[in-house]
Amino acid sequence: MADRSHIVKSYEQELGQLRSMMSQMGGIVENQVALALSAIADRNEEAADAAARQDPDVDGLERDVESLAIRLLALRSPMASDLREIVAALKITGDLERIGDYASSIARRSLRIRGSDGQISLSGLRSMGRLVQDNLRRSIDAITQQDSNRAMEVWHADRAVDEYYTALFRELVTYMMEDPRNIRACTELLFIAKNLERIGDHATNIAERVFYAVTGDNLPAVRPRGGPAAAENAAEPADR
Amino acid sequence: MTETKPQVALAVRNLNFYYGQNHALHDISIDFPARKVTAMIGPSGCGKSTLLRIFNRMYDLYPGQRATGEVLFDGRNILETGLDLNILRARIGMVFQKPTPFPMSIYDNIAFGVRLHERLNKADMDARVQDVLTRVALWNEVRDRLNAPAAGLSGGQQQRLCIARSIATRPEVLLLDEPTSALDPISTARIEELLDELKEEFTIAIVTHNMQQAARCADQVAFFYMGRLIEVDTADRIFTNPRQQQTQDYITGRFG
Repeated sequence: MADRSHIVKSYEQELGQLRSMMSQMGGIVENQVALALSAIADRNEEAADAAARQDPDVDGLERDVESLAIRLLALRSPMASDLREIVAALKITGDLERIGDYASSIARRSLRIRGSDGQISLSGLRSMGRLVQDNLRRSIDAITQQDSNRAMEVWHADRAVDEYYTALFRELVTYMMEDPRNIRACTELLFIAKNLERIGDHATNIAERVFYAVTGDNLPAVRPRGGPAAAENAAEPADR
Repeated sequence: MTETKPQVALAVRNLNFYYGQNHALHDISIDFPARKVTAMIGPSGCGKSTLLRIFNRMYDLYPGQRATGEVLFDGRNILETGLDLNILRARIGMVFQKPTPFPMSIYDNIAFGVRLHERLNKADMDARVQDVLTRVALWNEVRDRLNAPAAGLSGGQQQRLCIARSIATRPEVLLLDEPTSALDPISTARIEELLDELKEEFTIAIVTHNMQQAARCADQVAFFYMGRLIEVDTADRIFTNPRQQQTQDYITGRFG
């Protein structure tokens, strides 16, 4: 029983195919987020375009993963760890697709903040972006390596993302109060920060699903949240 | 019978079984909860059918086979000598892999076992036959030919007849050894539906090679490997997240 591969080789191959599509999809999405962040930080218009152009590939992979997962469920009657992995793939693929959408949205908005150079510091947004990118990379590593420890790290790290978001929210509101001419750019930046925060949440979702697929146990229902988030609560209605 | 906590119909304690020199079951301890379905799974030769056959002392028919330990049924160790095996087998019924109708009429297949244990007049016997045939959903199919030979029934009908025969003596426990492996999917579905209804009254132990069947029918699943009980848990737990690697490897098809 040392060999952990399936007796039926074609089943093993199909599971391998599912894993490879997941990691391909993860790679593209990770790249989209990197391009979107570069579009903001370096005012890189080409990067913004490139991020948006990859959306159809991600959507296509999502459909492919779904149909392969459904075929596996129907034809192989998977059990235990296989069943958990396939169901997790179905849900993770949705999270990845959403992350891709948020990255495109960030890329598009980055084009609209040009011209406000120098007025508004982007350093907070950059730091938040790096942190989210880091979490996303770890959650995608967790998928490809089926690593529950990685997943656990991401799950704990989301708190910092939330704290960044709360701080950025306050900072941007302050800019807008100082000079109404900042409002247009700051509104875009607020949306960008919100999109980054959502990417962080989806990365955490992925981590939770990987943890379940690997261990069979669920992470606690309540995840560690960042700060009191008072600024957000005061300013906008709960949207989730 | 109290309804407060789940009762145990059969309690196996430190059971060992030997086919001559061959030590077939090693120190098995497991409870069969009353009015639940317990499925026993595992590769061929793992001892699951052996365990089933111990419950109604089938091994007594063969010299050189012996069991040690305890199987408690209604407060009594059924392995002890001096037990009336006819009564035991009426209280613990058995259905085999291949339908085994007696070479007699449909009616007599059911009446035969009942006559050994009870004296019923014609009307009561007719009622008993109708009752059990109705419960296995066979009555409407055979009501017009009760005196025809049972051998003329289809495989699925024969198996339902065998289950009817087993429950006609009003047992407390029903043992099924691969009851649907020779049946088509529709007949299999009928038997599974039947098990679901019968468990309201009987404690059921089923040996099956069909994992999906165990997942569909069983409340509790026990996995055996090489004469040892590896893991026993709810069907839900066994098929989504078993604790033992050996169980996991077997049910996912990774057994080398």
